[in-house]
Amino acid sequence: MKCHFCEHRCDLTKGKSFCGMYADEGGRAVERYPDRWCTYSPSRIESVPFYHAWPGSRSMIIGTAGCNFRCRYCSNSFIACRNPAEVQDVMFEFSGEKLTAMAKKLGCHNIIFNVNEPAVSLPSLMRVSEHAKKEGIPMGCLTNGYTTEESTLMLAEIFSFVHVGLKGFSNAFYKEYVGVNSIDPILRNIYTLSQHCHIEIASPVIENVNDHELPDIAEFICDINPDIPWHVFRLLPEHQMKEMKYPDIERMNQVLESSRKLLPYIYFHNFVGSDWVNTLCPQCGAVAVKRFSLGCSGDRLDEFLAPGNICPACGAGIAMLGTKVSWNEKREKEGV
Amino acid sequence: MSLAIIDARQWQNRFDLESGQKKEESHPAAAMLSKVLSWNPYPGDMDEKANEWVTRTALDLMDQYEPNLVCLSYVQQFFSHRHLAHSQADWEKMCETAMAEAEKFIKISGYTPVIVGTGGMIPLKEEIDVSGLDGLAVSSNWSARYCGVHWPSSGDMELLSALKAREKIERIVSKKEWIDLFRSEEPKVKIHQDEVLMPDFLVVAAEGHSFKTLGTTLRKPVNIPANNFKIPVYTPLGSVDDIRGIKHLVRSNLDHHKIALILVEGVGKAFFPSDHAMCENGPGWFCHEPGDAFYLTLSTGKHEPFAYPAGYRSFDLDAEAVKFPFSGYMLSVPENTLALDYPGKSIAVGNRSMFMHMMFGVDISIECFARNLFNQGCLGALHRMDKYEK
Repeated sequence: MKCHFCEHRCDLTKGKSFCGMYADEGGRAVERYPDRWCTYSPSRIESVPFYHAWPGSRSMIIGTAGCNFRCRYCSNSFIACRNPAEVQDVMFEFSGEKLTAMAKKLGCHNIIFNVNEPAVSLPSLMRVSEHAKKEGIPMGCLTNGYTTEESTLMLAEIFSFVHVGLKGFSNAFYKEYVGVNSIDPILRNIYTLSQHCHIEIASPVIENVNDHELPDIAEFICDINPDIPWHVFRLLPEHQMKEMKYPDIERMNQVLESSRKLLPYIYFHNFVGSDWVNTLCPQCGAVAVKRFSLGCSGDRLDEFLAPGNICPACGAGIAMLGTKVSWNEKREKEGV
Repeated sequence: MSLAIIDARQWQNRFDLESGQKKEESHPAAAMLSKVLSWNPYPGDMDEKANEWVTRTALDLMDQYEPNLVCLSYVQQFFSHRHLAHSQADWEKMCETAMAEAEKFIKISGYTPVIVGTGGMIPLKEEIDVSGLDGLAVSSNWSARYCGVHWPSSGDMELLSALKAREKIERIVSKKEWIDLFRSEEPKVKIHQDEVLMPDFLVVAAEGHSFKTLGTTLRKPVNIPANNFKIPVYTPLGSVDDIRGIKHLVRSNLDHHKIALILVEGVGKAFFPSDHAMCENGPGWFCHEPGDAFYLTLSTGKHEPFAYPAGYRSFDLDAEAVKFPFSGYMLSVPENTLALDYPGKSIAVGNRSMFMHMMFGVDISIECFARNLFNQGCLGALHRMDKYEK
């Protein structure tokens, strides 16, 4: 019996899945730890980072345990790369209904799954989305995109905005640094997701390892839709690559210069005080959205200058899912 | 207008500390600070060289600035022991190494020390899961002992009472009782009360327990601070018996001594020189944990438990364009801090990130800029350029 949630397609009759989150039960892949979450905390949507979806909004960040990748540089290895059985004591137990109620209690506009890979907890997430939809709470996620065609459609059903990690652009990179043999399913799924929901793409850059693949990634994104925002992260290697040198910011920024001609929404960040986190109008170059970056998971909206998602200088449209939502909007609406 | 210099390794940027806007600054003090930052990349919170970084960076900055007052924090052992299991022998060695680093600094600099330990650590016995309350339970990454409970139902209060009966919770303190404990300190709670951020109840964990709820970390602590009602202080400058007296002790001796106020986190009396004193670390049932309120109390000479406590719904204040974006929870410069009105020169260096530059009121500071243990580089803050002569 093969698991259908990700492209590992693990044979569950031989035991648990690669991610450790699914098992065979009567010929079905079932979750071993349903409705268990490693966090539920309010955060700015920009910190995820989503830059082109409901700027300024308050998101409830959730996650579970386990991952179907083994990135050598993983920042969350203490929760993502460990055997999920070993970290169940740190988990919170909330039904989909309770988790949605918590998002309301915390005044959150949306719920975002971003600590580990959502494909490892899809049935639980489906249950959350049933309640979140009833309450008008949109859901988003970060995914590595290594899902099957079937579960990619599940992702698109649950989440209206998705951030896909495109970590390199070659099978060689994925094999060496991520632990999977082929990039093809990821490229396929990025296209599929782009047809169903708002997507943004993130690529961690490791100097002299995958920086030469950045122009290829830009071309790939451009072919799908040049309005897709692309976040290039200065990777601070952790886990097995802790000793790696930090990428040189000026040099990496120069590498991105040619890609900026293809894609109007390129961001280079994951370091404190980045100069490349503002949204510029694709037509006239005026600043449409000002942001401030404190590095990993620390980005915030500084000023939204494009009411109605229209450039304040030339009137051109700025690609955006929804528009600005103030941090306390939910609280104010509900009189909390 | 204070200047913030961010050093993200091989790359620096300058900002106005208050607004977070980019700022050009041609004053030679800024160039000096940039230089010292570039010489001293931060190795990381848990790295065994993180305390050595404090000593080296402080000495480099002192060479350039020649201050009379130096405030330091050595925290690597606290971060490491909080998250990793060590044998008792290894932990003792880490404490000895941290103290040796402070002693090395004193030996090289020749400054008169005031060394303060935040008190020892003990293994976490059990987490108290209060995430399922009908109301909202809020703790924080760095607090083990305190948790705020907002909007509790009668069922929540029954549950908390049951936990108290089972000796997981030491006490349940009403908002009024909490404020009354600090009434003589004229607590600055008004703004928080007005904005309804303060919890209805402060719940206090029994020693060895920690809360598991909104705001606590994904990384389960292995060791947590003991209930350190008394903390060790070593100084040849005179006796002090209360954390609030340390500010006066330092200030009253600065005319005749160059002083180094050194905080060593997670370390208790066993590792201090035998002629240390033990200081009160809070009134009644309250004791400061290592963190914002501890540093602020030490620096202002007044208990500041309401300034940046665990348990508040501080996230409601987290709107866009907040002031002091590099300063964590701090939205304004604290008043009456140790060096704020000191006419001599002062610096602070430490591996407690995002608040060293605010806590002591010094002219210049350098601290690591790490968030959730992720090493982002360093922050240099320049509050007073006028005292720099080159």
